[in-house]
Amino acid sequence: MNDEQIRAAAARITAAGDSQPRAARDPVNLPMIRNWIEAIDPGSDPDPDTAPPSMIQAWTMPGLHGARTGDDPLGQVNQVMDEAGFTSVVATNCDQSYPRYLKLGEHLTVRTRLLDVTGPKRTALGDGWFVTTRSSWFSGNELVATMDFRILKFKPREPASHTPPATGNPAGPMRPLVTPDTAFFWAGTAVGELRIQRCASCGALRHPPGPMCPACGQPADGGYVVAAGTGEVFSYVVHHHPPVPGKKLPMVVALVQLPEGVRMVGEMPGVRPDLVRIGLPVRVAFARVDDDLALPAWRPAEGMLPDRVIDVTPTFVISSALATRDFQDVHHDRELAVKRGSKDIFINILTTTGLVQRYVSAWAPDAVVRAVSIRLGVPCHAGETLTLSGQVTGDDGDEQVVAVTGRCSLGDHVTATVRIAR
Amino acid sequence: MSASLAGAAAIAGIGATEFSKDSGRSELRLAAEAVRAALDDAALDPADVDGMVTFTMDGNAEIAVARELGVPALRFFSQIGYGGGAACATVHQAAMAVATGAASVVVCYRALNERSGRRFGRVATGAVAAPTTSGVDSGWHYPMGIATPAATVAMLARRYMHCYGATSEDFGRVTVADRRHAATNPHAWFYQRPVTLAEHQASRWIAEPLRLLDCCQESDGAVAVVVTSLDRARTLPHPPAVIRAAAQGAGADQFTMTSYYRDELTGLPEMALVADQLWRQAGMAPAGIRTAILYDHFTPYVLIQLEELGFCQRGEARHFIADGAIELGGRRPVNPRGGQLGEAYIHGMNGIAEGVRQVRGTSVNQVPGDGPVLVTAGTGVPTSGLILGDD
Repeated sequence: MNDEQIRAAAARITAAGDSQPRAARDPVNLPMIRNWIEAIDPGSDPDPDTAPPSMIQAWTMPGLHGARTGDDPLGQVNQVMDEAGFTSVVATNCDQSYPRYLKLGEHLTVRTRLLDVTGPKRTALGDGWFVTTRSSWFSGNELVATMDFRILKFKPREPASHTPPATGNPAGPMRPLVTPDTAFFWAGTAVGELRIQRCASCGALRHPPGPMCPACGQPADGGYVVAAGTGEVFSYVVHHHPPVPGKKLPMVVALVQLPEGVRMVGEMPGVRPDLVRIGLPVRVAFARVDDDLALPAWRPAEGMLPDRVIDVTPTFVISSALATRDFQDVHHDRELAVKRGSKDIFINILTTTGLVQRYVSAWAPDAVVRAVSIRLGVPCHAGETLTLSGQVTGDDGDEQVVAVTGRCSLGDHVTATVRIAR
Repeated sequence: MSASLAGAAAIAGIGATEFSKDSGRSELRLAAEAVRAALDDAALDPADVDGMVTFTMDGNAEIAVARELGVPALRFFSQIGYGGGAACATVHQAAMAVATGAASVVVCYRALNERSGRRFGRVATGAVAAPTTSGVDSGWHYPMGIATPAATVAMLARRYMHCYGATSEDFGRVTVADRRHAATNPHAWFYQRPVTLAEHQASRWIAEPLRLLDCCQESDGAVAVVVTSLDRARTLPHPPAVIRAAAQGAGADQFTMTSYYRDELTGLPEMALVADQLWRQAGMAPAGIRTAILYDHFTPYVLIQLEELGFCQRGEARHFIADGAIELGGRRPVNPRGGQLGEAYIHGMNGIAEGVRQVRGTSVNQVPGDGPVLVTAGTGVPTSGLILGDD
């Protein structure tokens, strides 16, 4: 099958439009919601009036022994791609929007159509085609949710070749040389204090510190003040290349002007580079490297969500996959997952979508989530730590836009945008 | 000191290896070849050499180079620190040695397998572990992620853009000029390979706001020059390139590449310090210069050097270069052989050799006129500069 034939087949499937409505097995119900919350967002209200919006796909998942219907466009495209040799699949994007939340007892149907087939494209994984479908959920005749779902169907470049991403850590982190002149500073970061050298004789502040006070000529004698922890970006760099030991790239490193009158260099971990500007108010954070060392780091003073750190145990992977009614073996059967070329079982996409939505909802509990768009990066395996961080990137009074990043040791597992109405 | 240094000494010979990405030879071999070529150019023998100067960063001790060449006795040897900031300072040291009688023939050299061996563009993790003041200084920047030369420059470049409205395209015009000049220099790595501003703009980010084409190349090669008294140089085959001025400079609150703690973060005060000394020693003003060979490891520092050296007002360099002023045929041609962006990165020493050729009138891209030639050394670090003129 050549490219033209693939395009022709795609055009035929697209022209067929929406698949026939397929009914959810059960109505929107509290037991499923409770299982879902228990797995994905334990500790939050287990008894809500409405279903978490990012559960939408779970309601119509086919189930453990389910199969696609004959007119399911994704099934048809997959068959075409498989015949053409593009046998491997990876999901790349999932964009959901929620016109309204669902109440208990509503009966849903879903229809899916093929939106777009683009290719062939050369990707890091291999040559392939991007396939996008649109699913629409209805309660009666009312549209209650849509989802654009994009996958890459590809020919693997090399069998079982797992190139480490260029953003990986080439070696352990670099450590500062601690001398009698600088020990007070690093003792401070270790206990969460940002210390500025203060001359015992004349009171002049100085950073970086040194043994003498250039202002009065006397020995500095180890005196310091604890900084307020605020500042403004004086300048900054977005480092892309080459790799830096212990850092994920690209990264923002800022030179921060402190109100005390000194400047200091520090990374701005998790910040979106395009949202950094000279003059941006920042607040100190401490990036713990290990038991002995913490580095000064900076975060925007406003609009940053507190991190959520998830211990991705096998139990978490399995219980969340099952709670979203995703029974693919790579999410619960380690042996099979390894046989299929994975390091271990890994988090499923429905869970990732749920994590992103609940992360933002936990920060803005009264807000209504209108849409969640996620772009998938590296898989997040059992045994990882997944850190969700977020930043408000837009606010027009009616709607706020929150950028969310989920990082694990291999790099970005997910980058997402969540739109909420306050 | 400075009054007596001006005109006391001259560069009588220049030599170099080929410039490549993989020399296939040891750095010591490269050093020996370049020094030998420079001595041949000056019609001098190793036995005439009694002084040697190099960089602290050079891997070849003076005595090792002397051994290879059969130099029987060294009465003066010196190494200059601070990376590429040492380039013109090697000649400064040599001129002082000659002017005071400490030595009569001093060879300055720099040899490096910088592309096939230790690449400066990579993160030098050892820098932060060194039990020295430099190691301590690095501890305020490396662990936080400012760990490559490009990143250190990017921090200042961002502030410069913010304060003066300069853009990435303004930086790119330096690349376009250098690559245009290198395109007609058969010795240049980028011979016959000019680039357009669009190609500069399309090149990938290294450390924003710096793109790949804002960063000089990485090279293998060596350059050497021979310094002797003006009187002796007059007896040698080539017209002397007279050292009209030579100076070093380190400013207030100076760091190596990370002088981020001064009030302003838009200039290179250490270069202004060098410039003041040069103009005073040579008794001239920037307008009298025929061509300037400005250290160009990263493009933003070429713009800032134009300001610090007095070719234009502070913050005005982008306007100064907008109409091609620094290209051959322009008002102020800069780096006629293509500089380190176009010819090769020999830590600034190839710029000194080009300065000598311009004075001799033998450059492949000879700039017309009879004014002296300005050469600068590494920027962002304690640095140095030279003014070379004819006899």
